[in-house]
Amino acid sequence: MNVSLKRIQAIFIKDYKEFSRNYAVSIMILFPIAFALLYRTEAGDQAAIYAFIMNFSLAMLTSFVQACLIAEEKERNTLRSLMMTPASMLDVLIGKSALVFLISAAVLAFSTYLFGYESSNVMLLAAALGISILLYTAIGTICGLYSKTLLEASLSVFPVLIIFTAGPFALVFEDQYPFLEVLRYLPSSQLSELLVEMEAGAAAGELTKPLVVISLWAVVLTVVSFVLYKRRLMDQ
Amino acid sequence: MNIRQVNANGQAIIPSLELTMEKGKVLGIQTNVQRKKILLAQLAEREDVYLSFAEQGEYTRLTVEELLHFLKSLSGHSQPVHSMLQLFQLGDYQKVRIANLPASKKIYLSLLRVYYAQQPIIVLEEPYFQLEEPDQLAFARLLEELAEEKQILILTANLEDALISCDEVYRLDEAGLHLLDITDADDEAEAAHEIGEAEFKIQKIPTKKNDKTILFNPPEIDYIESMNSTAVVHVAGETYTCALTLAELEERLLHYGFFRCHRSYIVNLQKVRELITWTKNSYSLRLTTGKDSVVPLSRTKLAELKALLNI
Repeated sequence: MNVSLKRIQAIFIKDYKEFSRNYAVSIMILFPIAFALLYRTEAGDQAAIYAFIMNFSLAMLTSFVQACLIAEEKERNTLRSLMMTPASMLDVLIGKSALVFLISAAVLAFSTYLFGYESSNVMLLAAALGISILLYTAIGTICGLYSKTLLEASLSVFPVLIIFTAGPFALVFEDQYPFLEVLRYLPSSQLSELLVEMEAGAAAGELTKPLVVISLWAVVLTVVSFVLYKRRLMDQ
Repeated sequence: MNIRQVNANGQAIIPSLELTMEKGKVLGIQTNVQRKKILLAQLAEREDVYLSFAEQGEYTRLTVEELLHFLKSLSGHSQPVHSMLQLFQLGDYQKVRIANLPASKKIYLSLLRVYYAQQPIIVLEEPYFQLEEPDQLAFARLLEELAEEKQILILTANLEDALISCDEVYRLDEAGLHLLDITDADDEAEAAHEIGEAEFKIQKIPTKKNDKTILFNPPEIDYIESMNSTAVVHVAGETYTCALTLAELEERLLHYGFFRCHRSYIVNLQKVRELITWTKNSYSLRLTTGKDSVVPLSRTKLAELKALLNI
């Protein structure tokens, strides 16, 4: 499978134009910004709220847009036509993921600025968010592959939103239901933990564990999405 | 190009086929929807085939120009976009978003993807079905040009669509491919001109019945027999007498597929159903009109008849 920068770029530009002109999808970039403005606070639990906004934005923006981009190609049968061009499946996936990554990164950075969150370790924050974006892109790819139309894709993101974004909040009931312990290992819970501990002034050594868990999620989901992508496209 | 046999419920839907394709010739296969889908599924497995499906969608939010740019950089096509726009006659729509194009132009545009195909063989499913006539002509012209360097095959359920641009049309059924005999309108006109003189001579066979003169078109006549040296014309079980002699009638009716099968019989070969062999030297012809209409065939005429019918 050969990868060509020129083709990736062509797909990137094409998808950017499609994204920016499809308001039903591109309106999603307003959510993180609106949330950042809405929840601006100087209170002590700033980190926890910031983590919630990030987790919500990652599912609502990153996964949603990626799922829609893939599902729309399937809906219009353009993906099948793309498969017959010299563009490889990897070209298509990388082109789309790169676009989603850049959009997400820009929007998250902007909403961080608006929220007024100041991290003690900017490099670590950027790394955690960057890896999270990769992870949610992979989830979006999987959602897109299992939906036939744009409508299905936008609905398929909701389970992701509920499990990943609401997961950390269910930890409140951990004392009553011990099995909820597993939710602690969700990437969203880990991101939240990382931010809270960072604010509390934890040493860099303590912060590696959440980062490693998030990275593991990212690697596993990316591999799964690649394998599924290859298999689902063969079936068509 | 080989096509495997496909069975359903123990019956062959498509026998195994061998299709020879060549450059400069657009082939067409006319068949039903089920066989078309089977063919497409088999062709999709091949690496050297570009398939253009009927339900091909388009990136509707791009403009025509942006789409061509995209296809160009994706396929590594060498021609610049503006010259392709001219070639495709889409200059007027250059800046129009695909969603806003007329329906026929939208289909025309997605058909043009074949121009960017890298594969040596191009297969199109129902290319003309939803196109308006000017777009059909424009696309047929482009296909003709494309056929110089690619092998092109059109699959359609509609023979008329196949005739728009195919040089050779085959019909596909459970027995296999059958080449349809198609001559261009120009050739036909010439042929018609050649036999024009014979066509314009009005040939009616005058007969009498109960003192009335009745004129018959030759194809209506089943056979003519000679009875007491008068010619009797048999039409749909009725008999009419004719003043002409059998020799004169034979000459007049030669061009209408009549045959002097016996010294006293002329038969309309279009109406012959069966050749009956009574003994080695005795034959008859049974006609389609009924059980009783049997015309004798003399032994000397048998060889002539066989030559005429290619049997």
